[in-house]
Order: sequence, then C-alpha cells, then structure tokens
Amino acid sequence: MSDKDLDLEDNADSRIYEVGYLLVPTIEEGGIPAVYGNLKELVLSLSGQVISDEIPRMRELAYTLGKDVQNVRNKFDTAYFGWTKFEMEPEKVLELKKKLDLDSNFLRFLIIKTIKENTVAARRFIRRDTIHRKTPGVGGTDIGVPVEINKEEIDKEIEAMVAI
Amino acid sequence: MKQDYFSTNNIKYIDYKDIEILKKFLNPNGKIISHKRTGVTSRNQRKLATAIKNARFLGLLPFVAK
Repeated sequence: MSDKDLDLEDNADSRIYEVGYLLVPTIEEGGIPAVYGNLKELVLSLSGQVISDEIPRMRELAYTLGKDVQNVRNKFDTAYFGWTKFEMEPEKVLELKKKLDLDSNFLRFLIIKTIKENTVAARRFIRRDTIHRKTPGVGGTDIGVPVEINKEEIDKEIEAMVAI
Repeated sequence: MKQDYFSTNNIKYIDYKDIEILKKFLNPNGKIISHKRTGVTSRNQRKLATAIKNARFLGLLPFVAK
C-alpha cells in the first residue's frame, strides 16, 4: 500500500525538474546575474514555473573538466555552480536541454526529476548544530572571567610546548 | 553505521547537492561504500548511489580521490 501511495506522489511530482549547472569561470562576477536571469527567462519562455533556485557561486571542482570552445580544448579547475528547480511539461524539457546544449556559458549541466519540497538537508542539520553550539556559548559569555584565565593557561601551555 | 542514516535523520529525498552527507558514504579513494558497511536500506542505497553519481558528473565529488 505504501509503495502505491508513493507512486501516486511521484506522479503528482512528475513534472518537477531541476537543472544543476556549471558555468565557465571565464565569465566575470558581474556577468553571472545576466546568465542566471537568462536561464530563468528561458524556463518561463517554455511555459515553465521556477520553484526555487540558487545563484551560481564559484567553487573548486573535484576534478578538472574540459570543454571545447571553437575547436580549442579548455581545462577548468573552478566553475560557478548553481541550480534551478522548476515545473514544466515533459516535452518542453527536451527543448530546454537542446537550448542549454548550444549555450557556450554552460560548462556542464544536469537535468533531473525531483520533488517540490526543499531537498537540501545539510543546511537544516547545520542550523541544528549551530543552535546547539550557540546555546552553551551564550551561557559562556556571561561568565567572561574564566575564559580569560583559560587563555592564559593555554598561552603557558603553548610556551611550554615551544620550549620543548 | 548499523542503522539507516537517512531514515534516522528523516531525509526523504537524497539530494546530489548535499555533498557533506554524500561524503560520509565515500571511502578515502572516493569509491562508494557498499550497503553492507553503510547499513543503509537497499532502497536508499540505490538512491544514494545515483545521487553520488550525479554529484560526480557535476564535479562536486571526485570519481577518484588522489
């Protein structure tokens, strides 16, 4: 029964897609909002609806990626990574793919099926962790004097270590 | 990790962008750890493998770590 219910849910979400993409790092920081805006417009022009997205940010790649631009092989170790979640007719997604294939700003992209809800779980955990860390920290600030003593002790320990 | 990490943390959708979570399931060489060692349910292990592969394609995770 539960599997059937899940299948129904999948059908309801069957038109939710997400495109994750890497932009060529040769674009300047100032040019990023334009490329990002163009992608949004492209989705809208294909009668899609943007659900959520993230502005591309520069990040180190796990391995070197290559891309041929005008018959010249370029290698990149960094790229702007961004993603956009949208709702669209399945037929239109193919058109979107074709258009993105032709765009020279895109180093690589990946279109996947997804669900409407927020799927990034790490942030939630980070928040939880920081809350836990903050609460003892707040208590600690009230007792400021022992912290200073600790610093002195640490300094002494470090000096001792250096002496060795 | 004997219990399913995803059901204990109430993660219903394994996202390829959650690199910090996915990294837990890679060995030092960047290979995916088998479900025998992860303790993740078969259903989630399959989803996990797909998410890692998607992340690798987009350069978020390595195919081979040096």
